[in-house]
Amino acid sequence: MTTLRQSTQNFGQLAQTSARTILFLLRARAFFVLIALLILFASLAPSFLTPNNLAILSKHVAISAILAIGMTFVVLTGGIDLSVGSVAGLSGMVAGYLLTQGLIINGVAHFPPVALLILITLLVCLAFGLLNGWLVAKAGVAPFIATLGTLYIARGAALLMSNGKTFPNLGGQVARGNTGFTQLGQHALLGLPLPVWIMLALFGLAWTIAVHTPLGRHIYAVGGNERAARLAGIRVPRVKIFTYVASSLCAALVGLIIASQLEAAHPATGESFELNAIAAVVLGGTSLMGGRGSIVGSLIGAFVIGVLSDGLVMLGVSEFWQMVIKGTVIVLAVAVDQLHSRLQTRLLPYLESSSQGPN
Amino acid sequence: MRRVIRGVAIGAASLVLIAATACHRADISRPLIFILVPSQDNPFFRSEADAAAARARALGYRVRIDAHDDDAYRQDNLIDAAIASNAAAIILDNAGADSSIAAVRRATHAGIPCFLIDREIDADGIAKAQIIADNRQGARIAAEEFARAVGRDGGNYVELLGRESDTNAQVRTQGFHSVLDSQTKLHRVAAQSANWSQSEAFAKTETMLQAHADIRGILAGNDTMALGAVAAVKSSGLKGIVITGFDGSPDAVAAIRSGSLRATALQPAVLIARLAVDEADQFLHSGHTGKPERQVIACDLVTQHNADDYGEFEKVR
Repeated sequence: MTTLRQSTQNFGQLAQTSARTILFLLRARAFFVLIALLILFASLAPSFLTPNNLAILSKHVAISAILAIGMTFVVLTGGIDLSVGSVAGLSGMVAGYLLTQGLIINGVAHFPPVALLILITLLVCLAFGLLNGWLVAKAGVAPFIATLGTLYIARGAALLMSNGKTFPNLGGQVARGNTGFTQLGQHALLGLPLPVWIMLALFGLAWTIAVHTPLGRHIYAVGGNERAARLAGIRVPRVKIFTYVASSLCAALVGLIIASQLEAAHPATGESFELNAIAAVVLGGTSLMGGRGSIVGSLIGAFVIGVLSDGLVMLGVSEFWQMVIKGTVIVLAVAVDQLHSRLQTRLLPYLESSSQGPN
Repeated sequence: MRRVIRGVAIGAASLVLIAATACHRADISRPLIFILVPSQDNPFFRSEADAAAARARALGYRVRIDAHDDDAYRQDNLIDAAIASNAAAIILDNAGADSSIAAVRRATHAGIPCFLIDREIDADGIAKAQIIADNRQGARIAAEEFARAVGRDGGNYVELLGRESDTNAQVRTQGFHSVLDSQTKLHRVAAQSANWSQSEAFAKTETMLQAHADIRGILAGNDTMALGAVAAVKSSGLKGIVITGFDGSPDAVAAIRSGSLRATALQPAVLIARLAVDEADQFLHSGHTGKPERQVIACDLVTQHNADDYGEFEKVR
């Protein structure tokens, strides 16, 4: 009798440990995929792990990572923001317009200095975030539809700004006092490009908000169960509007960075960027149903996508195969995500207090 | 609820306002020329459409410009719109050599003559004219300049391809290689599609420069990708890399003047667009264009020596 109980207890402990291990491995899957990709490309492409290449790689990742950080907030509330690519395009065009045409007041063109110009651009994009948030939280439009609409509005606005043309030579002119815009995308600090620092800073900020502030808890709560959140006294609309504004501001930064890197603003910039951002968020384990996920995951997801595309370019894989491979990784990631949540429910009994086995 | 209604009302009011300002008043009595191009945000197609529109207006036509975004289905719908609006002629930069035949045939059957510019279709006797720039010859002169600039010692180079499903991307790369493959000292070490896009070319060039440290040149299938490569080379700090483009966009010509881009093959898009409108006008008055259906116009090589002679996709001097 005693031996039987003891063995049940041992079994229970064993089951608990292995259940925990399995769940941990599944939860950290994006991280393992990232490590595997890094090892794979390092062994196939000799210059892959050089500091220089890693810096450039992170600069490329920064674009989708910044979008993914903003997108994570939206997705955590159970929403989606399809407008980020267009808002990024618009942001570059607003900056390009202000740099090359200036603000025309009473027929005289005023050229704002770069800091003010960035502020104006961010404000314009913030308006799009407010519009998205208002449509979703107050007007009750489904997030997919609301942001699909603003996707077209922002793209159309970007095209209207120049009548479809590119704004070239964004270096600014000393006489106009608006030089320095190109530093944003091209300057390097301690060996890392500025966009990477922006990504890290945003990551730190977003992580703190998500994990350590009431607002972060509210975002998770709204996504987990909106009705319960409302009954608990959370101002659901305000929380939602915040997430869409955050997402638009991230998109604005991306547009500014790209325009600064290329020293040119093209109205079609950012097409399908929203899909990359959503892919990164999903790869990082955030559920599209809301309430579950993390900022860290999205950052890792963005790195997975970035490492994959840059690595394949270095190996000389054709564009067509790159698309197939990228798609496969995304589909597999979502399939594993489903497996994860199903296993989590199934293994729940094993996770409860150690002396109790499953019934 | 009330605020929502107010918001929706404001939205609806502004929509009406936008629609009112977006509509141009047009004189219905004049015949309509329908200009259909792949996109309105690309400087090349933009210049082509604007040149055709300007010529058509000068000849007394009404003009409508639309973009099919390289989507054959959208092109089909727009051709239907042209038929429905009883256009006198269609100037078309089509969405695909095979996939556009049916649309052109339908318009022709409906009594609307089609004049194709920039891209051909794989059928004769349907369109009244097919006027294109000689992409193969353009690619050859760009490649010859590229080889000359890299120098006698040769070296490794990379190629930025256009959208791989696009006929012009294929014709151009064939043209490049008909010149470069016979040069034993030039080696293509990598080729990537950047889908005609500047930001994609920027990122991919940066990565390729990391994979191949000894690159002497970058051959780009169009100017936007070439300018992306210029920005990437600049940010890498490397010197003496030869970059050539294709199209002859104003931005590329400016880069050639400043020395960051070596050369481009300029497609006389403006000339082609004007020719097409002139032939359409001729056809509408006399029933024939007086020219063979297929007309091929040579591209010009633009380098630092003659960059000042060129404006927006045309020779101005």
